[in-house]
Amino acid sequence: MDNSKEITRVLFENFQPQAIHLFYAIGYLAIAVFIYGVYVQIRKYRRGKPDGSWNELFHRFVDMVKTMATHRTLVRRDKSAGRAHGLIFLGFVLLFIGTSTITLEYDILEPLFGVKFWYGNFYLLFSLVLDLAGLGLIAGLIYMMYRRKWLHLPKLDYKRVDRQEGDIDFDRSEYRREDWAFLWSFILIGITGFILEATRLVWLNDRPEVWDYRMWSPVGALLAQIMQTLGMASESAGAFRPYLWWFHGLLSLTFIACIPYTKIKHIFTAATSLMFKDQLAGRRLPKVPDDQKTAGYKTITDLTWKNLLHLDACTKCGRCQEACPANAVGAPLSPRDVILSLREFANHALSAKELPKEAELDIHGKDVGQVFMETLWSCRTCLACVEICPVAVEHVPIIVQMRRNLVEAGEMEPLLEKTLQTIHKTGNSFGESKRKRAAWAKELPFEIKDARKEPVDVLWFVGDYASFDPRNQKVTQSFAKLMHHAGVNFGLLFEAELNAGNDVRRVGEEGLYELLASSNIGTLQACDFASIVTTDPHSFNTIRNEYPDFGGKFEIEHYTTLVKRLIETGQVKLKKKLDYRVTFHDPCHLGRYNKGYDAPREVIKLLGCELVEMARNRDNSFCCGAGGGRIWIPDPVGIEKPSANRMKEAGQIEGLQVFVVSCPKDLTMFEDALKTSGFEGQFVVRELIELIDECIEYEVWEDTAVTA
Amino acid sequence: MKILVAVKQVAALDEDFEIRANEKDVDEDFLLYDLNEWDDFSLEEAMKIKESGTTEVEVVVVSVGPDRVDESLRKCLAKGADRAIRVWDDSIEGSDAIAIGRILAAVAKKEAPDMIFAGVQSSDQAYASTGISTAAYLNWPHAAVVADLQYQAGNKSAVVRRELEGGLLQEVEINCPAVLTIQLGINKPRYASLRGIKQAAAKPIEEVTLSDIGLSGADVGAGNSMSHVRRMYIPAKGRAEMIEGTIAEQAAKLIQIMNEFKGV
Ligand code: SF4
Ligand code: SF4
Repeated sequence: MDNSKEITRVLFENFQPQAIHLFYAIGYLAIAVFIYGVYVQIRKYRRGKPDGSWNELFHRFVDMVKTMATHRTLVRRDKSAGRAHGLIFLGFVLLFIGTSTITLEYDILEPLFGVKFWYGNFYLLFSLVLDLAGLGLIAGLIYMMYRRKWLHLPKLDYKRVDRQEGDIDFDRSEYRREDWAFLWSFILIGITGFILEATRLVWLNDRPEVWDYRMWSPVGALLAQIMQTLGMASESAGAFRPYLWWFHGLLSLTFIACIPYTKIKHIFTAATSLMFKDQLAGRRLPKVPDDQKTAGYKTITDLTWKNLLHLDACTKCGRCQEACPANAVGAPLSPRDVILSLREFANHALSAKELPKEAELDIHGKDVGQVFMETLWSCRTCLACVEICPVAVEHVPIIVQMRRNLVEAGEMEPLLEKTLQTIHKTGNSFGESKRKRAAWAKELPFEIKDARKEPVDVLWFVGDYASFDPRNQKVTQSFAKLMHHAGVNFGLLFEAELNAGNDVRRVGEEGLYELLASSNIGTLQACDFASIVTTDPHSFNTIRNEYPDFGGKFEIEHYTTLVKRLIETGQVKLKKKLDYRVTFHDPCHLGRYNKGYDAPREVIKLLGCELVEMARNRDNSFCCGAGGGRIWIPDPVGIEKPSANRMKEAGQIEGLQVFVVSCPKDLTMFEDALKTSGFEGQFVVRELIELIDECIEYEVWEDTAVTA
Repeated sequence: MKILVAVKQVAALDEDFEIRANEKDVDEDFLLYDLNEWDDFSLEEAMKIKESGTTEVEVVVVSVGPDRVDESLRKCLAKGADRAIRVWDDSIEGSDAIAIGRILAAVAKKEAPDMIFAGVQSSDQAYASTGISTAAYLNWPHAAVVADLQYQAGNKSAVVRRELEGGLLQEVEINCPAVLTIQLGINKPRYASLRGIKQAAAKPIEEVTLSDIGLSGADVGAGNSMSHVRRMYIPAKGRAEMIEGTIAEQAAKLIQIMNEFKGV
C-alpha cells in the first residue's frame, strides 16, 4: 500500500464548472423532493391517534439494529430471499456510507477545515470494500429478479382473494410494475457504477497512482481489462465517461428523490416499524378508553400513528399470507391485503393538505381500499401473520379494532350475536346454568375445594370448554385426578367462574370482555391462592397478558408446565411408559401467543412417546380454525376447514398413532376433523392429559370411580 | 311524533329450579331475567320508523316493574330509545295483564303518543293480553300479532299484516293512534353492544309512581285483578317402559304391571 495523497478517488476531473454547478443544483433538488416527501409522510402519520410506544427508546433502538444487522426476521422460513436481501442491504449500506464519506470530505471537511482523509490506504481499503459491496448488491438483486420471474411463488402473486377478477384492485399489477422498476433501476445504478469505474481506469491507465492500484477495485479492474481487450482506448474511454457519469449520477439522485414516494421508503419505515414493535401485539389487545364514544376503528384516522407506520412498512413479501390459515383454506382474507388496502386508503385520504370529510374516511365497505366485513370475520386471530412478518407489522390488533366497530354496528353472523348474548346472560358460551359449571366434579370420588371458601395453593381456572363440553369433561376429570394424586392443594371457583373473555375480546365485543374480566378479577382477588393453573390456553392468555391491564395481576401457568414439574419432582409417578408414535399440535394461544413450545414436548418425551413433528410446528403451527371467535361462527360449506387441512398434514406422518393436543378447543375441532377427513381408524386425537392418565396408577378409589 | 313501546323484563328458568313455598310462582333464586324476546322486535320496529322518516320521532320505552327492570330498559336505551319510564309501587305486585294494561294506559294518557307498540306476548306468562287491554282502556283501535307494518311518522293510518293460523295473513288498515302487538320475525333486531349498554347508563330512567299517573293502590295489585294464580306446579311425569323378552315373558310382565296398577 501507499499512503500518498495522489492515490484518491477521481471526482469531477475534466468537468466544466457549469457542469459541476448543474450537478449540485440537481442534487439539491433531489434532496428537496426527498425532504418534501418525508414531510408528507410524517404529516400522514401525525393524523393518526397517539400511541404509547415511546418507552425504552434506547432499548428498542438497539433491538432494531440487532434485528437488521442479523437479518434474523428475514431469513426465517425463506433463507435464500433473506440472504439475498442481506446482500442488497449490506451493499446499499456500505455504498451509502462510502458515498457519504466522500461528500463529508469534499463538501464539508475540506472546504471548511482543509481536512482530507480520502486518499492512500484508507481510500484503497474503501475501494475494495465498496467494490465487494457493489458486487453483493448486484448479486442480491439478480437473485430477486430470478425469484420474481422464475420461481412463481404464490406469495408473490398480488392477486387478491377478497376481490373478483375485473375489480380495479383485483390483480394489483401496479405493484408488480413498481417492483420491477425498483429492481431494474437499482441494478442499473450498480452496473453503471462498475462500468464507470472501469472506464475511469482505462481512461487514466497512464497514471500509475490510478492504474497500479487498480486491483483494489477488483471488479472495476476486471471490467477495464475486458474493455481494453475489446479495444477501448484511453481517449474513447475519456470521451465516453461523462455520459455514463451523468447517467449514473442522475439515476442515483432520482432514486434518492423517489424514496419517500415508492416502496423504497421501507428502508425507513421498516426500520422504524421494527423499532416500535410491541412484544405483546395481539396477545394483549388495546383497551378502549372509557371516555371514547365509539369502540374500534371506523375511519382511517382512528388508527394510531403506529398502525399507519406499520401499513407503510409492509414490503408485500407475502409471508403473512403464506402462514395464514384462513387464506390457506380459501377464505376471503389475506393479512397482507388488509394491510395494503388500508395503506392505499391512507395514502389516498391522508396525503393531501386538507383532510377529507369524515364520510370519506370510512374504512369499512366494498369500495377500493375499504375492507370487507367478510374479510375481517374470516380471521382466527391465530397470530401467524404477526409472528412471521419480518418488519413487525401487527395485523391482529388492527383487525380486532375494526371488528369492534362491526360489533358495535351489529354487523356479524346471527349465530355469533346469539352466542355473545348467551355469554352475557349466563357467563358461558354454552348457555348452561352457572350452577352446572362444576357438574363434572360431582362424579369424582373426592371433593374439590371451593377456593372462595378456603385457601388453596393452586387455583384452577377451568374455562368454558373444559367445563361444559361432554368430551372435554372427561379430560377435566382426569386432570383433577392427576392433581389430587400428586397431592396438589387446589380449588375451583365453581359457579363464580365466568368465561375468561379471551375470545370475546378477539371477536371485538370489548364491553362484554370488560364485564367478564372485571367480574373474574374481582372473584379471584377475593380468594386466597398462590398461583392459577388452567388447561385452557385461551383463558391462560387473557389472564396472563390482559387481566393486568384491568388490575388483575396473577401468577398463572398452563397445565403442561405444572405437570412437567410434578413429574420431574416425582410428585406424579409414571408407572409405565408409552411407546406411541405421536405428533404434537401447538395451540396458538399456548405456542405462538405465549411461547409455551417446550413443556408439552418434554412431557410427551417423559411419557416415553416418540415425537414426530409435523412440517408446520412451533411458531409456524397451523391454527385449528377455532380462534378469534370462529368457534361460534359456522364455517362456510364447500371449502376446506383449517382443521381438516391440519389432519391431512398429520396423515402424512408414517405410522402415526396419536395426534396430541393440549387445548380443549383443539380436542373438539380435531376430533371432528378426524371423522370428516377420512383418517379415522388410522390415528386418534388425544389431549396430552389423557396420555399422562394412562401412565398413572391411581389408588383403589379409581376403581370405584370407573364403575360408579 | 312519539312512539311508546311497552316492554317487559321476563324471567327464564334456571336449571333445577324450585317452586316457592306459597306454590304461586318459581323461587326467585332460580330465575334469570332478561328483556322479553318480542320486545326486541317491537322496539326495532319503532327504531326503524324513527330512522327512516324525515319527521322527528321520539321513541319512549315504558315498563312496569321493580329496580331490576332498569337493566332491561338500559338495553333499550342502548339500542337507541330516547327515553325510558319505569312505573313501580309495591302495591303493583301480583297484578294481572289487565291491571298492567290499566297502568300502561295511564302512562299513555300522560305521554300522548301517536302509536303504541307492545310484544304479542311475554315469554314467561304468555297472556298475550297486556297490549290489548291497554288499547281497551284507551279506547284505541288495536291490531294483534302484527307481522308486517307499513307506516310512516305522521300518517293518519297504518297498514298492517296480521299473522293468522295456517300461514294466513290478514291485511288491515288501522286508524292512528293505535296499539299494535308485534310478532317475532317482523324485522331483525339490532345488537346492543355491552359498551352501548354501559354508556346508556348515563341516560336517566324516569321512575314514575302510581300517583304520578293518576292511579292509586286501589287500581292495581292482585286484589284489583280479574284473574288470580291459584297454584304453580310441575305435573307428575307419565311413565313409559319398554317391555323386552319373548312374547310369553312380555305377556307375563304386562300382567304383573296391570296387577300392580290395580293394587292386587
Ligand atoms: S391472525 Fe391468523 S387468521 Fe388472522 S390474518 Fe393473521 S394469520 Fe390469518
Ligand atoms: S405484512 Fe409483513 S409479512 Fe405480510 S407482506 Fe407485509 S411485510 Fe410481508
